[in-house]
Amino acid sequence: MKKMSDHSPIVLVIDDEIQIRRFLRTGFELNGFAVHEAGTGAEAIRAATLRPIDLVIVDLGLPDMDGSEVVERIRSWSSVPIIVLSVRANEAQKVRLLELGADDYVVKPFGMAELLARVRVALRRQMRAASGEPVLKIGQLTIDLAARAVLLNGNRLTLTPKEYRLLQVLAQHAGNVVTHQHLLKEVWGSVHLHDTHYLRIFVRKLRQKIELQPDSPRILVTELGVGYRLAQSGNENDTAASTVPEGVGHPS
Amino acid sequence: MPSALTFDRLIAELRRLALTFLMVAVTCAAIFLIIRDIGLTRGTVIFLIPVLVAAIRWGLVAALFASVLGMLASAFFFFPPLYTLRVRDPQEVINLLLYIVVAVVVSQLASRLKRELELARRREIDLRDLYVFSRRLAGAFDAADIHAAIEDHLANAMQRTVALFASAKEATNAGNGRPTAGKVPEQVLAEVVKVASGGTASTLGKTVNAGRGGVWLVRAVSPKSPEFGVIAIDLGGGSKETINDLRSRVDAILADATATLERLDIAHAIGEARMRAQTDQLREALIESVSHELRTPLASILGAASVLSAAPALAGEDKLKALIHDVRDEAERLNSDIQNLLDATRISSNGVTPHLEWAEPADIINSAIERCRRRLAKHSVAVDLAPDLPLVHADPVLIQQALVQIFDNAVKYSKPASPIQVTARARDGRLLVSVTDQGCGLTQPERERIWDRFVRGERHAAIAGSGLGLWIASAFVSANGGTLHAVSDGVGLGTTMTVELPATQNAVPQMESDEEDE
Repeated sequence: MKKMSDHSPIVLVIDDEIQIRRFLRTGFELNGFAVHEAGTGAEAIRAATLRPIDLVIVDLGLPDMDGSEVVERIRSWSSVPIIVLSVRANEAQKVRLLELGADDYVVKPFGMAELLARVRVALRRQMRAASGEPVLKIGQLTIDLAARAVLLNGNRLTLTPKEYRLLQVLAQHAGNVVTHQHLLKEVWGSVHLHDTHYLRIFVRKLRQKIELQPDSPRILVTELGVGYRLAQSGNENDTAASTVPEGVGHPS
Repeated sequence: MPSALTFDRLIAELRRLALTFLMVAVTCAAIFLIIRDIGLTRGTVIFLIPVLVAAIRWGLVAALFASVLGMLASAFFFFPPLYTLRVRDPQEVINLLLYIVVAVVVSQLASRLKRELELARRREIDLRDLYVFSRRLAGAFDAADIHAAIEDHLANAMQRTVALFASAKEATNAGNGRPTAGKVPEQVLAEVVKVASGGTASTLGKTVNAGRGGVWLVRAVSPKSPEFGVIAIDLGGGSKETINDLRSRVDAILADATATLERLDIAHAIGEARMRAQTDQLREALIESVSHELRTPLASILGAASVLSAAPALAGEDKLKALIHDVRDEAERLNSDIQNLLDATRISSNGVTPHLEWAEPADIINSAIERCRRRLAKHSVAVDLAPDLPLVHADPVLIQQALVQIFDNAVKYSKPASPIQVTARARDGRLLVSVTDQGCGLTQPERERIWDRFVRGERHAAIAGSGLGLWIASAFVSANGGTLHAVSDGVGLGTTMTVELPATQNAVPQMESDEEDE
């Protein structure tokens, strides 16, 4: 699928295992991405400073430094989307990574389709953030951040201030996981950092209003033990689809 | 270089001598009045009063000073020729000599008494401290508590800065978690490292000059038991004698302290605690490395298979695709087997610590179903959640993993396309999540042994499995204060597994209302 060959989004793949890099390169290239590789943290940081990069995939276990350090260092100067790969599936660690500035994490082993779905979400979010588009559409739900309006199938919903604030914070990070701590701090203030039940009760109320089936939510999705994620527009199950979101890429 | 401390002492000594002088002067004036009014001629003996007072209050130096002053005053004021230091009468000379002998002896006796009194008082304080120390040791929970107790005890008894380092590593990081460690100068730390790594075996330790007149003593708390660690004490900058004095005091206190430690067999306890910590660390490292070493190649296999299965070159090649799916499925199975082994290791070493939070039951159930989506694809799954389920206070990830094991079991032991029913209900302050399959059910003996490790139904030898799944599920549920039970009407009649978790609606803490103003 050759498409926008000179406008292909560029992915920087950082992993010390050559086999992992090889399948990632093939998988990304088959789906219209250009790939740079790095085997160490130092190499990765050099590559990220020297070249225009659209997205970073970084493994946590690098020979010269921890992947989280790479996240922190890249994040110190760039807002490029970062997805972390890890064999350790510890929730506390995921929370820490997200707080360091990672956009998403994928636990090894994973399938290419899953990673591509995450990559597309991250790129789309980056694009939306760059365009400053205030209107977000997820299925039947429309969130207009400028007008502070939430519409379901075109009908305006009545949300309480806290419900709206919760939805707003999630919408600002649409597609990405927002940690419990972050939500609690943004909506209730830092005194309530540990009152997860506030979140549970408000998410339940919010789901009653915005979800077609509040029992099996499709819009306000739970990341168990980590936080919540507002699903992005479009279907996430496009496993075989090989398209790159339009307009992404470097004006080289 | 004399430090501020010795200067202070000099000032104090001078003050005492001045006071002594004043006292002798007052006595002198009093004698003068007595002689004038009463006609007493030999008042020398009265000068013994300031000598005694000085000896008792301020020690030997002041007492001798008072004696000499008294003698001079007698010679000057009372013995002819008056107002000279000469004494004419030999009788008076003998009197004066007698006085000075008595004064010196009295001075010594009185000051020794004073010293002994002081010693006794200090001893009493030491004993009380030691008692407090042993009380604290008896209540100590781990090695760090014991080390803090030794440090505080010594600091209290010596009234000096004391830092205790449990090991050379602690000294190199200059951090034992207590604030005093930060005050230890670098040269001293270097010596601590040397002593802690078994470099010097000197029982009495070694003094280190830390510059700016400060001298520190570094020694092992007990030469016999290195577990107690190494201490560094700021001895200040006194003369050689004061330092030796302090050192012998440290010795005495430590001797008492180590006797107490040995009596309580603390060394053994610390050693064991450290060993336990090391074993735990080793096991964690092993789990980590096994998980990394096995998962990394699996990640390559699964990743490569997933790329291949979607490769345009294979479009329409269904047989090849089926092979690739086999690779993927088997690699996934291997991955979940590895996960089970790791979980089992963690459980049997008491390593499951749930991170409790208020969790939404629907979230846990949905994400478990999501995780098993591919495995459940051949079955029709019906989910029935009661409205307004209570929140549960549990680790949602552990409960999800338990449910995944239960789903896995339901899929394994029931026919493809048979329905699987998931229900959630609240009852008597508990949440009940049931998974019902239409599979091969359980016999009575099977039901009894189903939760044991490595137990697999004999009827199902053809179905692959490790016999760990339900054991893990049960351990995860009980770690959250819940129970897991199985009900079956018999062979071929299906099984219902129910997870029961504590969930009281009332126990959910109150929250502020969502006020409408903004």
